[in-house]
Amino acid sequence: MLSFLTDFNFVLANLEVGQHFYWQIGGLRVHGQVFIVTWFVMAILIVASLLATRNVQRIPSGIQNLMEYVLDFVRDLAKGQLGEKDYRPWVPFIGTLFLFIFVSNWSGALVPWKLIKLPEGELAAPTNDINTTVALALLVSIAYFYAGLSKKGLGYFAKYVQPTPVLLPIAVLEDFTKPLSLSFRLFGNILADELVVAVLVLLVPLFVPLPVMLLGLFTSAIQALVFATLAGAYIHEALEGHGEEHEEH
Amino acid sequence: MFDFDATLPLMAVQFLLLMVVLNAIFFKPLTKAIDERGEYIRSNEVEAKERLAKSEALAQQYERELAESRKQYQAVIAAAQDDAQKISAQKIAEAQQEAQAQREQAQKEIDEQKQAAMHTLEQQVEALSRQILDKLLIGV
Repeated sequence: MLSFLTDFNFVLANLEVGQHFYWQIGGLRVHGQVFIVTWFVMAILIVASLLATRNVQRIPSGIQNLMEYVLDFVRDLAKGQLGEKDYRPWVPFIGTLFLFIFVSNWSGALVPWKLIKLPEGELAAPTNDINTTVALALLVSIAYFYAGLSKKGLGYFAKYVQPTPVLLPIAVLEDFTKPLSLSFRLFGNILADELVVAVLVLLVPLFVPLPVMLLGLFTSAIQALVFATLAGAYIHEALEGHGEEHEEH
Repeated sequence: MFDFDATLPLMAVQFLLLMVVLNAIFFKPLTKAIDERGEYIRSNEVEAKERLAKSEALAQQYERELAESRKQYQAVIAAAQDDAQKISAQKIAEAQQEAQAQREQAQKEIDEQKQAAMHTLEQQVEALSRQILDKLLIGV
């Protein structure tokens, strides 16, 4: 896959997959472009929240209305996955997941980052960097382990041998496939979308890429929804501990 | 493309920070606002329902009173009409009696006068007949 992409890089010089704008922090190398866009996304979310809650009114209007709609949406999302009983403490986590991924994806699709030249690499959605998606997926793993352990203590691990110990390897394997599928699904979808759009723009600069861009917006929103929903489903599974719910892809 | 480095843990930390910040400035205040609004609407609804029940009871009471007073005024009207009829019948009867009495009196007077007239006539007839007789007898 890598050679395939580097071949393309040769032809389509604009596609800078795998090139990063490296920053050195202490002895660590980080991808600067990811951080820049992440800060942008966080700034959008924080500013919108501050504007919405600056002057909370009983009859909402303007941005408060919008953000209340957003909150209702993520609350319903969490409620749908976790159930009425114990969804409340998880709303911030699932809601932040959804909002962060959603705004990241759309900022990658809607903001013309290409206009800002970096010495190396290019600005894009933070979610098209594997580090971001793996970080989020690992946080989901930690979250559902935390959910299970805090609810049932060590009894949480009993679910690995229920209903029968024969399934123990599969149950253990699931803990690895969950973050893997979560992170790669998001990463692959967003990166592929940006690649498709970039390739089409190079081949046919005008109008033809527009439907694909719209499709990309749709995919981005769906991926944010899928990530947040699956996070909720995993946490619910850990809280309930049946282990009978299967992954959806 | 798959180069993992310090970006991963830093992104995780940033995400957690974002979650904490959003929880403080977005989730908590707006959830509180929505819950308070729900509470406000619920209490208002209960109050409004109470008021509605009260006003419905009042309306029923007023309707009952209205019906009662309608009955009363109909009774009053009927009584008044009765009275009026009685009075008018009485008055008519009185007037008829008076008229009867007057007529009888007039009749009596007429009769008396007639008799008096007859009487005088008879006297005159007698006087005349005597004169006629005298005149005739003078010739005899």
